[in-house]
Formats: sequence, C-alpha cells, structure tokens
Amino acid sequence: MEIPYIVTPRKDTGLFNSKIAIWLFLASEVMLFGGFFSAYVFLRLGADYPWPERTLPVLPGLINTFILIGSSVTVVFAWASLKMRQWRKFQFFMGITIACAAIFMVLKGLEYNVKFHHQAVRLNDYTVIEGHLGYEMEDGKEVLNHHGQKIEENQIQVETSGLTFNIVRFHKPWVEELLSQAEHRKSKIVLAADVSAITDEGKPAETLAKAGEPLSVELLSRLQESHLDARSHNGAVRTAELRKEWVEAKKNNPGKRGWEVSSGVNIDADTIAPHVLTEIGTVAFKVDPPAMFDFKPRDIQEGATQSRLRDDTLVDGKMLASPMGLHYVDAIDFRHLAMKAVEKGQDPMVAVENSWLIKNHPFAKDAWEWNKGQVAKIEKELLERHGVDEKTGKAKYEPTAKERYRIGWKEFVAMADEVDRDREEIAIKEEFMGPDYHGREAKHTFPHLELPREQIRFASKFTPAWNTYYAIYFTITGLHGLHVIGGALVLCYYLFFGRKMYDTNPEWLANRVEIGGLFWHFVDLVWIFAFPIFYLM
Amino acid sequence: MSSHATTHTGHDAHHDDHHHNPGFIQKYVFSTDHKMIGLQYGITAMCFLAFGFYLMMVMRWSIAYPHQPLPEWMSWIFTDGWKARWLQDGKVTGETYNMFGAMHGTIMVFLGIVPLGFGAFGNYVTPLQIGAPDMAFPKLNMASYWVYLLGGLIMCGSFFLESGAAKSGWTNYSPLAGFADGQVVNQWLAGQTQWLIGLVCLITSSLLGSVNFITTIINLRARGMTWMRMPFFVWSMLVTAFLLLLAFPPLEAAGIMQLMDRVVHSSFFMPSGLFTKSEGLADLSGGGSPLLFQHLFWFLGHPEVYVLLLPAFACVSEIIPANTRKPLWGYKSMVYSVLVLGFLSFIVWAHHMYMTGMGAAVSTFFQTTTVLISVPSVVIITSMLISLWGGSIRFTPPMLWACAFIPMFGIGGLTGLPLAFNLADLHLHDTYYVIGHFHYVVAPGILFGFFAGVLHWYPKITGRFMSPTLNHLHFWPSLICMNLIFFPMLLQGMAGFHRRWYNGGDAYLSKAADSVNVFGNTVATHIDMNIIMSMGAWTLALAQIPFIINLFISWKTGKKVESDNPWNATTLEWATPTPPGHGNFTFDPAVYRGPYEYSRPDHEEDFIPQWEEPKKPNTKH
Repeated sequence: MEIPYIVTPRKDTGLFNSKIAIWLFLASEVMLFGGFFSAYVFLRLGADYPWPERTLPVLPGLINTFILIGSSVTVVFAWASLKMRQWRKFQFFMGITIACAAIFMVLKGLEYNVKFHHQAVRLNDYTVIEGHLGYEMEDGKEVLNHHGQKIEENQIQVETSGLTFNIVRFHKPWVEELLSQAEHRKSKIVLAADVSAITDEGKPAETLAKAGEPLSVELLSRLQESHLDARSHNGAVRTAELRKEWVEAKKNNPGKRGWEVSSGVNIDADTIAPHVLTEIGTVAFKVDPPAMFDFKPRDIQEGATQSRLRDDTLVDGKMLASPMGLHYVDAIDFRHLAMKAVEKGQDPMVAVENSWLIKNHPFAKDAWEWNKGQVAKIEKELLERHGVDEKTGKAKYEPTAKERYRIGWKEFVAMADEVDRDREEIAIKEEFMGPDYHGREAKHTFPHLELPREQIRFASKFTPAWNTYYAIYFTITGLHGLHVIGGALVLCYYLFFGRKMYDTNPEWLANRVEIGGLFWHFVDLVWIFAFPIFYLM
Repeated sequence: MSSHATTHTGHDAHHDDHHHNPGFIQKYVFSTDHKMIGLQYGITAMCFLAFGFYLMMVMRWSIAYPHQPLPEWMSWIFTDGWKARWLQDGKVTGETYNMFGAMHGTIMVFLGIVPLGFGAFGNYVTPLQIGAPDMAFPKLNMASYWVYLLGGLIMCGSFFLESGAAKSGWTNYSPLAGFADGQVVNQWLAGQTQWLIGLVCLITSSLLGSVNFITTIINLRARGMTWMRMPFFVWSMLVTAFLLLLAFPPLEAAGIMQLMDRVVHSSFFMPSGLFTKSEGLADLSGGGSPLLFQHLFWFLGHPEVYVLLLPAFACVSEIIPANTRKPLWGYKSMVYSVLVLGFLSFIVWAHHMYMTGMGAAVSTFFQTTTVLISVPSVVIITSMLISLWGGSIRFTPPMLWACAFIPMFGIGGLTGLPLAFNLADLHLHDTYYVIGHFHYVVAPGILFGFFAGVLHWYPKITGRFMSPTLNHLHFWPSLICMNLIFFPMLLQGMAGFHRRWYNGGDAYLSKAADSVNVFGNTVATHIDMNIIMSMGAWTLALAQIPFIINLFISWKTGKKVESDNPWNATTLEWATPTPPGHGNFTFDPAVYRGPYEYSRPDHEEDFIPQWEEPKKPNTKH
C-alpha cells in the first residue's frame, strides 16, 4: 500500500500532504497562542495591581528578536539550497539556523536565571520591595545547614517540642527532613506514648510501638498499615450493620419512603463494638530536647503555639521571630500602595510617607526624599518643554506613576553617584544581567533590610507566583522556548540525518525542510508578538 | 520525475521487510491501518462509556436513597480499603459524589462519545467513503490513539490515589478546581492535577487526529470524488475535525495555566483576597480572573457539543437513505448548514455564562448567535425527517435506531431553546432542566445514532449481520428507560432541583421545606421521581447486556452477508472486500455520481453505486 502525494503535489489541490498538515497544525497553534495572548489582554485589563510596564531588560530581548528573524531567513536559504541540490550550502545555512536557536535559548536561560534568584516582597500596606534573600549569618560567616547548603533568610522557625503526624497523609520526604534537622540540632524525635491497638477481631489490644521509640518512616508506615487495615475492616462492619438496620426499618415502616424514616436508622455502637478494630489516626511524638526547626513558608500555616504543615502534621511549639533578610535591595516600589490609597480616597503621597518602610528604614526615607526631588525636576522640565493645557490649567505632561513611586536600581545608582536620574553610568553587562551588586558595594548603593514576618503580605521569587504578569510572561515565553527547542531538534534531524534521504529522494527532504521552515517562521512570529507585549509595553 | 520513481523502489523494499505479514502485535496493537485504529478507538471508547455509566449508577443510588448503604451489586467492584476511604458506613459521601460526577462528565464527553464518534466511526469509514487507501499519516493516526489511551488511563488511574480523582465538575472551574487537592504535597499525585495532564494528552490526540482527517479528505479523495459528491458523513467529519483543530487549543491554554496555578502557585485564575475555611487567606499573589477560565473553557466547550453531535448526524444521514431507498432530502442545504453550524459554534460559547454577570451587551450578542445556530441544526434535522417522506422504509436494525434518533434529538434540541434566553436561563441555570436537556441530546440522541452506526457497518467489518432479535431486546427497553430517566429531569429542573445535589434534594427539603415553589411545583412534589429515574437508569444498564452479547456473538455466529454490499447502498465503503484488507480497495476507485442515487426512474435497480461506470450512450439511435 502506498499513500499518494507524499512527495509530489496533487494536481487539483496543488499541495502535498504534509504541507496541508503543517498549515492545519499552525492554525491550531495560532489558536493555542491566541488563547494565551487573550489571557494576557484579559489579565492586564482586569489587573487590580499596577501592571509592571517595561520591567524587563530590553537589550537581550531585542538581540533575541534579531537572532530569530535572522534564523528565519537562513532557514529559507537552507531550503533553497536543497531545491538547487547544493548540499554543502544547505548544511551551512541550516547550521547557522540551529546556532541561532541555541544563542536564543542561552540568552533566555540567563534571563530566567536572574529572575529565579531575585526576591520580591509585598508588605501589608502594599509597599513592594525587591532584592535578594540573604543567608543566615553567624559571626560574619554564612551558616550551612545539615545538607551543607547556605540557608536563605526566609524560613519559619519553630522551637518545636512535639510533632503529631496524620498517619494517612504524612509526606515521607518531610519526615526525613525533620529527622535530619533533629540530628543536626542534636535532638531526638521519639514516640510520646505507647501506641496500642486491637488489630484482630475479639483479641485484646496489643502494643504496636512503645513510648520512646525513635521516629522513622518505617515506624509510621507500619502504623499506617495497621490503621488502613482497621479502617477497611471497620468500614465493612459498619456497612453490614447499617444494611441490617435498613432491612428492619423497612419492615417496621411499610409504605414509608426512605427519607421519612432515615433519621431513625442508625448504627448501634454497642452491637458492633466487639468487631471494631482500633484506627490509629494520628501519632504524637515529642522532640527531646525541644529544638528549632526550619520550615519553608509555603509548607506551613504558622500559629503562635501550634502550626500545621500542609501534610496535616501538627507542630507544637513557639514560633520564633523568623524575619526575612533582604540583602542587596534593588527596588522600592510604592505604586501599589499609592493605587490602594487612591481607591480609598486618600492622598497617595501622604500614604507613602506613612508607610511602615519609610518610618522604619532610614535608607528608604532618604531614597524617597531624593526621588521626590528628582520628580520635581522632571515636572519642571515637562512644564518648560510642553507647557500648560489651556483647558484644564494643568501641565500637559506629568511624571508617570513609575517615575513618581518606583525607585529602582538605576535610581539607587544615581543617588549613590550623586548625579541626576538617567545620568548614571551603567555598564553593558549590567544592562543584560542587572546591577553589579558587589562592584557597587563600596558606595553602599544597595541596602540590606530586615523585614518582620508579620509585615509581609506575600513574598515570592520572580517566578510565575509573583504576579499575573510574570505568570503569563513565563508561560508564553516558556512555551515559546519549548517550541524553539522542538523546532531546532527537528531541524537538527534534517541536518545530521538527512544525507541518506538527500541521496535517494532530495525532493522529499526539501519538502520536509519546507514544512520545518514554515514551523520556524511561526515560532519567529510568536516572538514578534511576545517581545513588544512583555518588554516594550 | 526520477525522484518519484526512486521513492517507489525505496519504499517497496521497505514494504517487503515489515508490512506484508504483520505479526499479531503489529496487526492488532500497534497497527497503522485506519480500520484497526478505528476498532481500537471503538472498543476503548465503549469500555470508557460503560465505566462512566457505572459511575452514574452509583450517583443515582445516592440521589434516590441518600441514607442507605450502596447495595452489594454495585459496591462489589471496590476493595474494602477503597470503600473505607470513599464511602461512609457504605453510604456515598458528598465528596465521592462530586468525584463521580466530575469524572462521569469527563469520561462520557472526552473519553467516550468523542472517541467513539470521531475516532471510531470517522477513522473506519471516512477513508473508505472517499476511496483512499488509508489516512494520509498512518503513524500519526496510531499515535493519536495511543495518546488518547494514555490520557484516559491517567485520568481514570487517579481514582486510586489518596486524593481521589478530580472533584470540581467536568467544567473544572477555578478557583474551586485551583484549590481542590491543594493539601497534597506532591501535586503530581493529586487527582485534580492528573485530570489536567490527562486532558493535555487528549487534546494532543485530537490535534493529531484532526490534522490527519482534514488532510486525508482534502488530498486523498478518489478520482471523480468532487466536493459535492462526498457523502454527508464525510462533510460532517470534515467540520468536526475543524472544530477539534481550532476549539481545543484555547482549552489547552486554560489547562496549562491551571496547571501552573496548581504546581507553581501562579494566580491566573485566582482573584485577590481569596479566603478558604481550611487555609485562611490564600498564600497567592491574586489578581487573576476566574472568568477567564470560563471563557477559555467554553470556547472549547460549545464547539465540543457539535463535535459530539456531528458524527451522530453523519451516521444517521447515511442510514436513512439506504433504508428509505430515497436520496437524502436537501443534501446541498445540509452541507451548507453543517458548514454554517461549524462556524457559528465558535461564537456562541458565552451562553453558558449568563449568570457570571458579563454584562447585558455581551449577553445580547450571545443570545442572538445562539438563536441563530438553531437554524442550521433545524435544517439538518428537518431534512432527515423529510427524507423519510414517501420512502418505502425498511425497518432494518440500524434504521430502528436512526428513526428513534430524530425525535429524541428533537426533544434535546428544542428543550435547549429556553436556555438560550437570558431571562429563562436565570431560572433554569444549574438545575436538572439543563441536565435533562443535554442528556436528551447526548444519550438517546447521539448514542442512538452510534448504535445505528454500529449495526450499519458491522456487516462490513465482520462479514456478518448482528442479530435483529437481540437488537429488539436492546432497542425497546433502551428507548423506554432513556425517557424514564431524562424526561422527569426536565420537570424536576423546572421545579427547582439543583443539578449538584448529592442527596437528590433530601437535605434541601429538611432545611428549607417550602422555599421554592414554581406554579405549585416544589421539591417536595417532585422528589419521588428520583426513585423512578434511578430504577430507569439501572434497567437501562440491563438493557445494554443484549447489545454486548450481540456485539460478540454475531462476530462468530451472525448471519453471513451475501455480497460486499449487503444493504445495497451507494457509497464507496461498500465497494471494498468484506472485511476490507490493508489498503482497502482491490481496484482503483473512481466516482461517477453523487452519493445518494436511490430509486432513479431511469434505472432498473433501486440504487446506483457511486463507483459504477456509466453505460456508454447508444450512439446508433
């Protein structure tokens, strides 16, 4: 059997099969990215926080744009070379195309990496601070944890005296983590009391584990097994009993509907008592001596004396201060705070000056005062250049909210260098990778802040979790990146494994490269849309 | 030109190595033959349908007898451990009901009906009807099936997780679905996450399928098979493929975003200030839009309705002319209607969202388009009805089902009209009326169309007829039970029964005895119907047994066909050997006329197949 029109086009449609298929596939892709781009519009229009405009470094994005456009041209040259049966030239152009894809992905990777190590915090009054998590220090040295890693200053610390595990839901890796933390702190986690249970019908309770037995995953698993057995057994016993009760209830209430008699139908606890096994449910351990445990903020619902982990483990003990240490703070942003103030009908400037950060951190206060001066200069300049609107009597152009309320790292640099805004000297590398924190340390350009836990409303790295802008940015560019990788793999296949087909059926290979190229154009096109909406708008 | 020749030799050598005597695995498991893939799709989809049906039977127990333990004849399937987790003293809990409800909908729509209609019938029949040797991309076709199976297994496998399967309705609305199973530390082992992963597999599968179908129909038609000579079946499949191709991706986008919300804690669909009883203020950035999810979901969700429906239209429109011995009435207007239907189905989605407060202008637009889309549907169903007029109808087993399809789908369609209007929807939204409406479309409508299709093409697939006696045993109880289940739903819905009550309104009655009263119809006056409906559902399950027996027994013992064209039909699939071999046709098929040339007065027999060469006119006269 032979499928027709694989290589030569059908006369009346003028198309070979895979060409139809790639156009259909691209139509589907348009709808997929269309869904994401509509989501971008929807989220941006509906955002209830200041949308981060022009927040990404433009230079790497711009370079990537030209790289992709260039590769779109070279892939056409590669196809044309094949059509002309010039294998060497095909190799050359295809090689360039793939190299472009690789450069694109490297730049993308660098950009992502910077984000993933950059911390953002939203305080209770909606002040936003950006910077880097510091590491736990002791005597001027970074403390290492039991895994030999530096400890980021973003942990919930609990002086733990007891742990109670949900026997069904406990998460094994977390138990192991608790054990190794205990070992590191020279403490032991041991069973608080004997665990005894009836494990066989009609037999007396037997001790499954003795008080003082050390915590281990094996112990929990053993108790879990016993619990699950008892749960199944009891379920069957109770079900049988309820069935029996219903048979009787129906006999005693002829003609009545189920829901009319249901309130009188109950399981008789005494009848089933002899058949019931013990369900363990939870197991309590004590930490001896009480020790400090670290938890990631997302894993724990903290309380003053008792906290709960996401796997339902109860942690008894006092929560310690657990402040967040931000080193190399590189932006202070009052836009969200100002927006909330306006919503409430308050003066945003007053609200900023009353904010917790300005009141508690002299650096923030200085930066704010410096920025106010800069904003006044901008206002004056705009007034001189554009004049006054005759109708309203106000200046035609005013400083943007970003200029007014956001003090970013370039402003920090200008302030430290004692020059005006936009007069600071920025190295090319900094345009790519963000500020050179160490190089500028001498001038104390970037402050270190300590934030008490109760002031923090929400904190995250610059990941999709930080806000919907970053969520859609990472989703679209990430998916686009996957398309670049997928496309490049296919092009690699043509380049490195195409020779055999070139020798037997070069036209077929040309067709393949053509549809690969069409896909590549699409990948380029997506970027042409993604670049302006994320980097420029 | 020389290049073409080299392909042949190159490919033929390849042939000798692999294709001529395929082993068992290659023939039945990893087959690239569209017919075998069609059968794989069909059998798998029927298994999923049976499973979805089972979930519904358990739910119907909870509705009819909310306080009584699930009886042994339904609960024996579970292990004791599973029962202890999901049943409370043997009773179905609300959580379990939600899980079964969500999965019933998901399984029936995504794993049952679509694969059966598009995957099975489409795959088996379409290439035969256009005279193609196979699909344009046989390997993609195989991949499409396997990705579908993988997606289905991932979704159903989640029943065995500690968190259970998805529980947030088949529509999976955020923020509910974004939060559900949030306590599971390893999110990849949460049913709600696996639902999304399964869904992405299914979307990939339908993408591969639809690209393949459209390419095949455009490029692999036989000589003479012009567009207006294509059977209506092929047109329906073409439109269905376009719907799948273009409507599914936005849902994939929504699925990916919801996956991000779950796994990396983004807030695409999570608004600011979300507060839950169990977790307090959500540790999320907020700022997302729950409405966005609904828009993306229904952008698929509505075209999906036609993805379900069109294959049933396709089957019925082939069966009616073959059994009335009359051309399909209004073939051309049906073709244009199906195209218009396909287009309009993309711009009606928000009629599922009248209650979200989108605004009057938006609602008005969607009311208008929704009313518009009923026009092409009515054109098609009316054409089918008129096709019966004046025919000498043979009540063959498939025809029985096809005849029942028309009124059953009619009820389903007409009960949809009140829902199209904002004002009426205000009252009926989220009630059993909606459930009754779309189940009339899908169960006695679409499924009846598929039963007709199975009976119609069974002789081509196996060389034997299915037993008419067993078919009667299947058909009549099914027809009665379907109406017994779904008609009371319409009444209950109008009386105010909410669609997600897990105890059939019992708890509502005890808490608010007389709050809903619609012209004398109250929950109290309609609650007894629950029992009749549930009895109907369980009887319906029994009624499927003759079909299953018939399906298997007739394969070996059914009456043998006497020719390759046992129904004396006109379309190309009947020109193939029975069953058709790999590559389908034993001759180079060519088409000389339209698809429904029945009972032409100038012809002796009452049908002229598309492939029959016209006799040369006698030039001597």
